[in-house]
Amino acid sequence: MLSQEDRTLLTVENLDVHYGDLQALHNVSLHIPQGTIVSIIGANGAGKSTLLGAITGLNKPTRGKITFRNEDISGIHTHDVVSKGITMSPEGSRVFEKMSVEENLLMGAYLSRARKKRKELLKRVYGLFPVLKEKSGQSATYLSGGQRQMLAIGRALMVDPEVILCDEVSLGLAPVIVKDIYHKIVEINREGMTFILVEQDVKRSLKYSDYSYVMVKGRIVMEGPSSQLPEGEVKDAFFGISKYA
Amino acid sequence: MEVLLQLVINGILLGGLYAMIGLGMSLIFGIMGLINLAHGDLMIISTYMSMVLALHFSGNVFIALLITVLVMMVVGFFCQSVLINRVLDKGAEPPLLITFGLSIILQNVLLLIFGADAKSIPTKLAAQNAITTPWFSISAIYLINFVISILVILSLHFIIMKTYFGRAIRATSGDVVASELVGVNTKRVYAVTMALAMVTASIAGLLIGMTFTYTPTTGTQYLIFAFGVVVIGGMGSLVGTLLGGIILGLAQMLGSYFFGMAYQLFFGYVVLLVILTFRPEGLFARTK
Amino acid sequence: MKGMERVAITTALGGRAALIRRIILATIMVLLITLPLWASEGVVMIVFLIMLYMAVGQMWNLLAGYAGLVSLGQQIFIGLGGYSLAIITEVYHLNFLLAILIGGVISGVFALVISQPIFKMKGIYFAIGTWVIAEALTLYFLNWSFVGYGVGFNIRTSYDLSTNYLYFLSLIVGLGSAVLVYIIMRTKGGLALMAMRDNELAAEVMGVELYKTKLAIFLVSAFVSGVTGGVLYLNISFIQPTAAFSIDWTVAAVVIVIIGGIGTMEGPIVGAVIYVVLKQYLYNFPGISMIILGVIAIAIILVAPKGIMGTLQAKFGWEIISARRSTKNIKQMVHPDCG
Repeated sequence: MLSQEDRTLLTVENLDVHYGDLQALHNVSLHIPQGTIVSIIGANGAGKSTLLGAITGLNKPTRGKITFRNEDISGIHTHDVVSKGITMSPEGSRVFEKMSVEENLLMGAYLSRARKKRKELLKRVYGLFPVLKEKSGQSATYLSGGQRQMLAIGRALMVDPEVILCDEVSLGLAPVIVKDIYHKIVEINREGMTFILVEQDVKRSLKYSDYSYVMVKGRIVMEGPSSQLPEGEVKDAFFGISKYA
Repeated sequence: MEVLLQLVINGILLGGLYAMIGLGMSLIFGIMGLINLAHGDLMIISTYMSMVLALHFSGNVFIALLITVLVMMVVGFFCQSVLINRVLDKGAEPPLLITFGLSIILQNVLLLIFGADAKSIPTKLAAQNAITTPWFSISAIYLINFVISILVILSLHFIIMKTYFGRAIRATSGDVVASELVGVNTKRVYAVTMALAMVTASIAGLLIGMTFTYTPTTGTQYLIFAFGVVVIGGMGSLVGTLLGGIILGLAQMLGSYFFGMAYQLFFGYVVLLVILTFRPEGLFARTK
Repeated sequence: MKGMERVAITTALGGRAALIRRIILATIMVLLITLPLWASEGVVMIVFLIMLYMAVGQMWNLLAGYAGLVSLGQQIFIGLGGYSLAIITEVYHLNFLLAILIGGVISGVFALVISQPIFKMKGIYFAIGTWVIAEALTLYFLNWSFVGYGVGFNIRTSYDLSTNYLYFLSLIVGLGSAVLVYIIMRTKGGLALMAMRDNELAAEVMGVELYKTKLAIFLVSAFVSGVTGGVLYLNISFIQPTAAFSIDWTVAAVVIVIIGGIGTMEGPIVGAVIYVVLKQYLYNFPGISMIILGVIAIAIILVAPKGIMGTLQAKFGWEIISARRSTKNIKQMVHPDCG
């Protein structure tokens, strides 16, 4: 629920991103208020991952501006973006295969601010995801898909950020596990964490987020408070049907 | 029979030294996927540097080593940051060719400054034996080489496995994007890794200089050895690196026994080629 | 320039550009053939070296720039070519031209033999594998009585040969290698090579027989390098293992191709000119020329990785000798009904 006093934490203004001659994002603008869960819905190739990549410094914008806490962070190195308080649970989890679960989590607390509190942060992550504590000594390569996703989110938590971007957490996972992960995200959000969720699952995105943006072919075609967006229309937009094509 | 035993012992002792030479290369290859073709030459440069400094400080090899290590760390850091980091994302060939170019430059600079005559770092240890028994003896310098190599290998193992920065190195070698996303400056990790590799190379350089003679082109020979260690021992395994070195050392010594002194290197090369053909990932590589 | 615009302009210039290209090539040919008439012996010898080093560069370029095989072992074949010349003329007293050709054949056969193990090595392993084989050969020859151990021996057949004779031999080898590369690239094999270089998996899916193609290129490159080695040593007149199988030959090839432009036809030519001229100029300071070349090579990789000709091609569409057929012909090849 958005209130009038909510501060905008992250702003994306008129963002263009090109891959060589190919334009992946066209004039994308977003406002992410603090403490909310914002979802970005779109099909494969709609540009969602590119958008997250631009925010985290993995892609350089060709035009436009990204502002975090009134500071321009457009185009700065990823590790600098992270030190300012934004991190991501990337698509496919990307856990450190050769390290144990606990080492993965400790790696999350690499930066000094988080490193000082690492024991406390670790406790919190283990509280949220007990299965990670069970497997803390095991090599990450033996985890199931759902456990990897939890590890990726846990690692992001260890960074002690203000915003966590989640790139397709539900990809390839059983519905039961996805539901569990989303409930945990909501729980973490209640404690003050801002989330940007990128998803292909329209229903879930609308259900668990406060505000949604719909992307088609690199453009925002629809946005609004999630509870007020009609699922049918969102799905139409998603598939590029009628007026959104 | 005693001759054989002596050769085996020498092979093992030398193997430790070869392992340390290969260690630097293994580190770079494991973390960045880059084969530094200038590794041997960088090592020999530190040998020459140690020689000059040792002469300057009236034979005190410790001061010479200290200064050499510091200088080479800076050189390594510089090479990585300014030269190699820029082309790491441009494919496999450009970084390789840059190190090739570096190798050319270094060898010719050394040739220009010191000439092609063989040199050595004089030390009394080379002629002495640390242990003498009726069946074999252990040369003092070989023993020192072995002990120092083991110490360096263990220290590096400790740094990589037990420190936060070592963890950052491991993370970077696993997944650059994920590492950046937890705040690791991966380009700086590469530069520091190169600096670490240079530390091992300069220590190895000093030891080589005290044990053998060298010329500006000696680097090439040790480059192939280092590569042999990496290939035989497999990447990512410090124990493997040590064993790789020992196998190479043994191959060399036994080769000289069975085929004659002249063929010792040749035999080492053949072993390397065989392994490259059938098991390039190394004998001891950890499965992914 | 955007890709489509450049194609349009080139097609529009079409006939005119092609004519200019042909005039330039013809002029160069005439100049080269008549060189001994109007240039001093010193200059002739410089062009002699340029021709031969260009051949060495062309072969490395064929392997690395087109087939994607970075080799650090070209010296294997140069050494074998040189030694073939030496042995066949000194020990068997046969004609040196025959010896040079046989040298090429021996190099090709050796390449076939080592292709078995060496093609199992991928990427960097392949590169180091070729280097190790060269070093192993050096050691073997150093200990082989038949070739006089490390002392080496003189190649006396060349003593009677005139500079001009040597020069025309080098022209045949140098221009021949360029023409050979040109022909290879224009055939189906060439298209296959470029496809392979750009994306091996995709090429394989399209039916390119990777292994056979790579092997063929490897053998051709070995043969030509062997012949080049023979002519080179005809001039040097003295052969010895460490120099014959020295990495320096590959260093020359790499530097020539990098500076000139990897993967281009004119690159090795430009590179060879720069390499030979620089070394001649700084003849009294051999180390310095190599240092300068090394610095230039590194600078090029950092700043203009396509080399001189590659960057010119990309920026201005300059292609004097094009490996690619015009798009019109490609369309016809793929869809015979397209007009």
